[in-house]
Formats: sequence, structure tokens, C-alpha cells
Amino acid sequence: MAFTLRGLKVSPNSASLEEARSRVFDFFKTACRSIPSIMEIYNLHDVVTVSQLRSTIASEIRKNAHIDNPKVIDLLLFKGMEELGNITEHAKQRHHILGQYVLGKQGLVQDSSTKDEGISPFLKSFYETNYF
Amino acid sequence: MASIAGMQICLLAGPRSIHQRSGTSINHGLKTSVSFWRTIAPRLQPVLPQLRIACAAKPETVEKVSAIVRKQLALPDDSAVTGESSFSALGADSLDTVEIVMGLEEAFNISVEEESAQNISTVQEAADLIEKLVEKQKA
Repeated sequence: MAFTLRGLKVSPNSASLEEARSRVFDFFKTACRSIPSIMEIYNLHDVVTVSQLRSTIASEIRKNAHIDNPKVIDLLLFKGMEELGNITEHAKQRHHILGQYVLGKQGLVQDSSTKDEGISPFLKSFYETNYF
Repeated sequence: MASIAGMQICLLAGPRSIHQRSGTSINHGLKTSVSFWRTIAPRLQPVLPQLRIACAAKPETVEKVSAIVRKQLALPDDSAVTGESSFSALGADSLDTVEIVMGLEEAFNISVEEESAQNISTVQEAADLIEKLVEKQKA
């Protein structure tokens, strides 16, 4: 099932936008408070700091900030809790965490050496999106 | 230094209460019930809650809080972040406020309760709350 170790915190649908908003903040606080243990599990101490992870989580939440349907927000929170649960119970691996939450959005093909500068911009944005 | 800052805040709170009392005496003619209350119970004004939380935080705590706020909101180093500046005035939305509280939790190694976190709106309030929690932890 979705939650094995984290206690099942899914409650019936939020009555209003305000309740959904407070649930989002509770989720954010839970996530922030589990960051130190996440860094311990995946050995991220040399790679990233706590505040960087915190701002990554905040930007992920902010991506959906425009939504105003409480049911949609509930579903997004459910998925967020599931993801957080997976990460904290070590169901993921270090490269998952690094790729999803640590590396920036510059795309995975970087200009690392002189021969790469000839690569077309098509290939550079290949991993990002189909539409540009 | 701390006592001067404390005195400033107490002085700020003082004139407010004086204005309150003069206000009700000026409205004497509007409602007879108001004057009735004033004759029966002259001590009816409740103590303003702001008067109690005054005179608390140390300047270096306020400085640390301002530095964290500045970094979080990506403000330039010379922007004015004083004790009285509110987070929303500096351009923070509610998620930013929660994130700032989390950053303060991490920096000062405290843990802020749910209800107290709702009421933080200015830098000064955050610094006062931090001081109180640090005191409680040391005790």
C-alpha cells in the first residue's frame, strides 16, 4: 500500500480551501523536519545542505500553488505524503534523490568539455520537454 | 544595547494606551451606554496584549532572524529589515513564512508549536518567540 511505515494520515476530503491550506503547511513542516534523517540515510552531507533541500521542497509545493480545488489539493498531498514516506523508509536510492531533488533544472546534458559545445540545442533540451 | 531597544518598545506601547483612553472619553456623547460603563467600571479597558510581549528579544537574535529572512526572500544585503518589518511587506507569501519559521527552527535548534507559528507576522515577534523557546529549553 502507499504508507507502510508512516502512520496513515489520510483523512476525508478537506472541507474548504483553508483546511487544505493548513494541511499543506503541516505536510511541509513534516517534510522539513524529516530532512536531517533523509540526509543521514542517503549520505547527502557533502552534496547539499538542509536549506537547499528545504527550498527544493518549497518550490515543488509552489508549482501547484495556483490550484483552488480542495479535492485536487488533497490528492496532491496524498501523493506528496507517499513520496515522503518512500524516501524516509529508504525505498529509494541515492541517485533517485540526487536526480529528482538535488540537481537543478539545467537539463542533464551539460557543457562539460570543449567538444560538447557543438551539440545542438535540440539535444540539450531533449530531456526537458517535447515542446519548445 | 538590549535595554535601550527594550525601552524603545515599551515607550512605543505606552502612548497607544493613552490614546485609547482619550478616545473613549471623546466618544462620550455617541452612546449613553458607553458613559454608563465608564462611570460604573472605570478599569474596563483590557490590558493590550502587545504590552506584555514587549521588551524581550536581544538585538543579535533579531539580526540572525533578519539574515535568515533576507536569504530566504533573496533580498539584497542593504534592504531594510528591522524588527517591525512584517514578512508580507517584504514580499513573502504564506509558504515563505512557514519556510522562514522552519529555517529558524533549524538555525536555533528549537521546535515551534503549531499555534505560536500561526501568529508570527513580523521579525520582532519571531525573535521574541525564539528567545522564549530558547529560555524554556535551557531551563
